[in-house]
Amino acid sequence: MKRTTTLPVWIVPAIALVGLVAFTIIYEIATKGESILIKPENLLNILRQVSFVGIIAMGMTLVITLGGIDLSVGSLVAFLGGIGILFLNAVLSSGASEPVAVLGAFALIIVGGVVAGFINGLLVSKGKLAPFIATLGGLAAYRSLSMALVAGGEYRSEGSGLFGRLGAGGIAIPGTNIAPNAPSPVPLLFPWPVLIFAIVAFVAWMILNWTRLGRYIVAIGSNERSAIYSAIEVDRVKILTYSLLGLCTGIASLLVASRLASISSSSSGTLYELDVIAAVVIGGTRMRGGAGTIAGTVIGVLILGVIQNMLNLLQVSVYLQGLVKGLVIIGAVLLQRSERP
Amino acid sequence: MPPVISFENVCKRFGSVRALEAVDLQLLRGEVHGLVGENGAGKSTLMKVLSGVEHPTSGELLMNGSRVRLHGVPDAIKLGIVMIHQELNLVDELSVADNIFLGREFTHAGLVNRRRTEAESRRLLERIGHDLDPSKLVRMLSIADKQMVEIAKALSYNASVLIMDEPTATLTERESNALLELVGNLRQSGVTVVFISHILPQVLRISDRITVLRDGRVVTTLDTREVRQTSERDLASLMVGRSMTDYFPPRGPHWDDVVLSVRDLSVPDRVENVSFDVRAGEIFGLAGLIGAGRTEAAEAIVGLRHKSGGQIFLNGTPTRINGLVDATRLGIAYLAEDRKDAGLTLNMSIIDNTTLVSLRRYSNVILNRGKQKLATQGHALRLRLRAASLTEAVSTLSGGNQQKVLLAKWLEMSPKVLIVDEPTRGVDIGAKEEIYHLLHELAAQGLSCIMISSEMNELIGLCHRIGVMRFGRLVTILDGQHATEEQIIHAAGLETAGA
Repeated sequence: MKRTTTLPVWIVPAIALVGLVAFTIIYEIATKGESILIKPENLLNILRQVSFVGIIAMGMTLVITLGGIDLSVGSLVAFLGGIGILFLNAVLSSGASEPVAVLGAFALIIVGGVVAGFINGLLVSKGKLAPFIATLGGLAAYRSLSMALVAGGEYRSEGSGLFGRLGAGGIAIPGTNIAPNAPSPVPLLFPWPVLIFAIVAFVAWMILNWTRLGRYIVAIGSNERSAIYSAIEVDRVKILTYSLLGLCTGIASLLVASRLASISSSSSGTLYELDVIAAVVIGGTRMRGGAGTIAGTVIGVLILGVIQNMLNLLQVSVYLQGLVKGLVIIGAVLLQRSERP
Repeated sequence: MPPVISFENVCKRFGSVRALEAVDLQLLRGEVHGLVGENGAGKSTLMKVLSGVEHPTSGELLMNGSRVRLHGVPDAIKLGIVMIHQELNLVDELSVADNIFLGREFTHAGLVNRRRTEAESRRLLERIGHDLDPSKLVRMLSIADKQMVEIAKALSYNASVLIMDEPTATLTERESNALLELVGNLRQSGVTVVFISHILPQVLRISDRITVLRDGRVVTTLDTREVRQTSERDLASLMVGRSMTDYFPPRGPHWDDVVLSVRDLSVPDRVENVSFDVRAGEIFGLAGLIGAGRTEAAEAIVGLRHKSGGQIFLNGTPTRINGLVDATRLGIAYLAEDRKDAGLTLNMSIIDNTTLVSLRRYSNVILNRGKQKLATQGHALRLRLRAASLTEAVSTLSGGNQQKVLLAKWLEMSPKVLIVDEPTRGVDIGAKEEIYHLLHELAAQGLSCIMISSEMNELIGLCHRIGVMRFGRLVTILDGQHATEEQIIHAAGLETAGA
């Protein structure tokens, strides 16, 4: 009998979480508790910053557990946000009311995301393309499309700013005041994107662990052949899973576009696919599929966010931040390696 | 004759599990030593100790009278002890010659000397009487030929002790015979062969002596004279430790109503105009050589393969089956022959595997884990599944218990027709017997069963009727009660009479 020393899937995120806490404590001691790292404002800021990548990472966890991958998400964020803003501006200039135009743009972005995911799903299931290749095409194509429409420039939303409320706003937390000296209290805002990230994470966790689809995703990711021999409609499951990732990408794109009320065709969403995949891997989801954890990915997303924030506070050059991120990713994968028989 | 290898009081523990307990065993020069026992009896562990994979907890291993300590497989190979595993360790994309000398390439000025590698390989292959082209890619070879490459590779290490683990499990009758003959020849040239197999007739035929293991202990070692007087059933009884009189349950009656009718079923290049009926409560056997089209016919019935012609009727109604999903909806279950790669999802739990096909039953939107567990417990009890916990991954189970999970997975959907493909392959005798009794019991309750098997004795022992396939055609249907192995062999085309 072959002995396989399979560590539980949560071991990598557990170690990462311990590392994160230790890191924070060391940082606090080093800065004699004077840093703003664990101040509520900064924590909410970190959460807001990571929520865009985080939402996509929820869908990506499902896709990687399925044994797939999607490289097109970053470019798709720019493309969807761009056409959403174009649509918004067109509807506004036709004289429609702003709320209608904004809702229409939101709907277009989300539906567009699902359609893009559906196409990826078709390519890897019916088209039998390797997921890496199929979505590499999307990575190039969507970025190119979004740049072509505005000749490499920016999409800027018109109107009175209603479009930007969702990405930049939040719910006032009662009893807080971040401007004690101002004439009237300014409450701390719990950002909408963070709330949406939490909801998406919960739904993804339910899907992976408590639904038929989730079991099918794990079964296909473990061994596609045995899934076929278990009467699972493999193609349908794949298309559905990629479509869910498309939906997540759509939601993220909407929030990114809304946050600054604009999209830069060349830089919005750039390298998101790497951050997303890094978060999933740090979280302990197996790259070859068959085992995934949503909670792990959430931790992975937070780790990336906190590291970035710390480096910013420490005034480490942005050029060096990639190095730290790279080391963390490699460390996580090295930990995973011990899982193999 | 002095022993080449002696195990003296060898014990091996894994944690609290005693895998080997005070094993004393001698292997003589130039003998074929059969090693039998149920799964978990300690055969693999014993051979892992001999081939340097495992270290004994206590006890001695002697080679030619002197004590040896093996620190890994390379140590054993240096001493001429080579093991050929059931899962062959060959590189598909390299040639036969490159595989034989992998890691020990003949070089000339730093470059691989292909001509010499191939010449040496040809010499080795000739020694075992096999004229295989050494430049051929291993990917292109049949399993039997790959087996030969492994043997040639073992001989290239000047092996004096060759351990073969289930070498004939995936071979056809004819290929097995060729292999057994080769084993006989190796004995002549002074090589000691340890022959591990579940196929007892072969063990009895080829072995000079046979050692029976049970629960990590040596039950007995039969000498040459005893081997000649031992029947398959005697050997099986020694292995399980009780008499095996009711190995096959008595055939039950069946009803007259036809449940499944297959008419003129064809699959391009594989199956041609196959027609048969299966009645309620009947076990219908499908015999034939590997490649005769039995699995392909079954896969076409359940929609896993494209049919080029033919019709399937269920209770007299024509069906449209375009995929396994359609078949399961109609109540037709198919247990794939390749348990590890097609039947089960090894890293998922017993519960997840058991309920995978019928998952719809356990969810509206959210899965009802409690209900899943309850149903799995029911099956585990009925099938006498031995597992520490139902949330354990299936990969940790023995072959017999894995097969039981596979059965549970398909019984869970309450099938009307159950197609089982090699249900007892790689399963120990005790579990085999349990599976026979289970199939018998299911049939008695009215289930129609199609059983594909390469073990003729189980078809004869269990089936009401046996269809024999040859080259994609169903050539005859024999009455199970009176069928003999000779009749099946004849019809399956081992002899070339009457094409």
